Amino acid sequence: MAAAPAVNKIKNAKLVLLGDVGTGKSSLVLRFVKDQFVEFQESTIGAAFFSQTVVIDDTTVKFDIWDTAGQERYHSLAPMYYRGAAAAIVVYDITLQASFARAKKWVQELQAQGNANTIMALAGNKADLLDARQVEIEEAKKYAEENALFFMETSAKTAANVKDIFTELAKRLIEAQPAPNPSGMILVDRAENRSSNSKCCS
Amino acid sequence: MAANNTDRGTSSFDFDPGPVPAPSRPVDRFGFVKQDQSGSPDELAKCKSVAEQERDGRRIRKWRKMIGVDGSDWKHYVRRKPQVVKRRIRMGIPDCLRGLVWQLISGSRDLLLMNPGVYEQLVIYETSASEMDIIRDISRTFPSHIFFQQRHGLGQRSLYNVLKAYSVYDRDVGYVQGMGFVAGLLLLYMSEEDAFWLVVALLKGAVHAPMEGLYQVGLPLVQQYLFQFEHLVKEYMPQLGEHFSEEMINPSMYGSQWFITVFSYSFPFPLVLRIWDIFLYEGIKIVFQVGLALMRCCHDDLVKLPFEKLVPALRNFPKDTLNPNMLLPLAFSFKVSKHLDELQHEYEKRNKDPIHHEGSTSKSVDHKLLDKSVMKTQSHDIEKPTFTQEKKDQG
Repeated sequence: MAAAPAVNKIKNAKLVLLGDVGTGKSSLVLRFVKDQFVEFQESTIGAAFFSQTVVIDDTTVKFDIWDTAGQERYHSLAPMYYRGAAAAIVVYDITLQASFARAKKWVQELQAQGNANTIMALAGNKADLLDARQVEIEEAKKYAEENALFFMETSAKTAANVKDIFTELAKRLIEAQPAPNPSGMILVDRAENRSSNSKCCS
Repeated sequence: MAANNTDRGTSSFDFDPGPVPAPSRPVDRFGFVKQDQSGSPDELAKCKSVAEQERDGRRIRKWRKMIGVDGSDWKHYVRRKPQVVKRRIRMGIPDCLRGLVWQLISGSRDLLLMNPGVYEQLVIYETSASEMDIIRDISRTFPSHIFFQQRHGLGQRSLYNVLKAYSVYDRDVGYVQGMGFVAGLLLLYMSEEDAFWLVVALLKGAVHAPMEGLYQVGLPLVQQYLFQFEHLVKEYMPQLGEHFSEEMINPSMYGSQWFITVFSYSFPFPLVLRIWDIFLYEGIKIVFQVGLALMRCCHDDLVKLPFEKLVPALRNFPKDTLNPNMLLPLAFSFKVSKHLDELQHEYEKRNKDPIHHEGSTSKSVDHKLLDKSVMKTQSHDIEKPTFTQEKKDQG
């Protein structure tokens, strides 16, 4: 990570995971942040928070990740987590059609209520459970294209595409925001103004 | 609790004992699989001294005297010496009596006695729209506790039954993630039916204000509690409150699960139990007090942290601050009752919805507490058991 200390730019990005109960939001984060997987991940109550960095060339993207509770009843808490998010991953379970329908609702809500600049990804999780597949990959791909989402099937269990989806989001964030954004709640905020000032010595 | 008459059925089915708790996975004294095995030999060596055992024995005898045979003397004692009871509860209910005392102080024992057969009916004959949701969460509730680890084992079945029964009993609330941790905690200390009535007592308000608003659509009571907590922080720790505002910390980011599960989610179990002892006797106030105590303990660190470090710090307090014997006395030092009332009024005024914090869906839920442990139930389909003292007296 410290390979290029000379011109290492640090960007903070708030990322939110949304999706139905039990689609594997927490498992995706756990795989990404700690490279671990547990079969019976404790239910998320309210929301959970993690940080993880991704290095793309000379830029370190530091994700502040909000992993939300999936149950519909917790819906009223969600806006706080997606408001101002630079990136969102909407997760469904490829073995449950209903979770795909719910994912579409989240996408709609983000398009309607969220920040227009939020970069969105759609993750079809549990891709290791091919025998139980209910959501065809073409169907999801088509939906993603129509809605300008970045799409991947992932497996938190096997780690397939997990790092990739976060890395791709990081790349798109950098591309979308080459220069400091005047209206920008997105990339550069209070936090790393401080840290970049203090950490440039080598 | 593990003794259950599972005599029916095993003869005609393939008997699958399932994964028997393996001796290779040591558990702590509460039954949680130990995460960190390095310290275990030390812990084993930490047996109680003779003096400590004797003290515990005396304590238990005092408690037994206070309770009487199966709780017969309890109410009398509480009426005569409420302060003694309060003090003893704050020191911790002996673990061997905890299940019984929890039922006595929560009013759930009365509900159980007033409603024979109702639980069974809810479990066996009723169907719930939440069944799939409950099933999905069953193996994700206290997954590190041996009682709940075995797939379709006694723990998981009991948990399912209690949650399903409640979702039928109160269809407006149904099942909400978080309830499982409350029910799961209770099931470690009492039977299914007892646990069910204790959940009813809490949510419908047998002794304290009803808490069903924690789980109703829009989570109205969570919103209220968080509003109150945020203001208490500002009041007691203005510097920290100011820092939270600057860093745009919303209390929901750390506090919603405190209230939704009454600390039963992701806190060390010895602390959870002590909080529950007090919570059941004194009410939700203790959750605010413990929250404030945690903030006070870490105050000087917290005020220095930027957002991205502040949130994790507020969700993972250092181990040494979570010692109940240190944390609880500090918690009691916050006298919050009056503040809480004032803040509740202010919250209600702001929402311009006079004294209606139960939420909007309560068309069929009537919370009028006619006489302490009295309430009505909302099971639409079964012949309505109206759980009132009056009814009982008539009969």
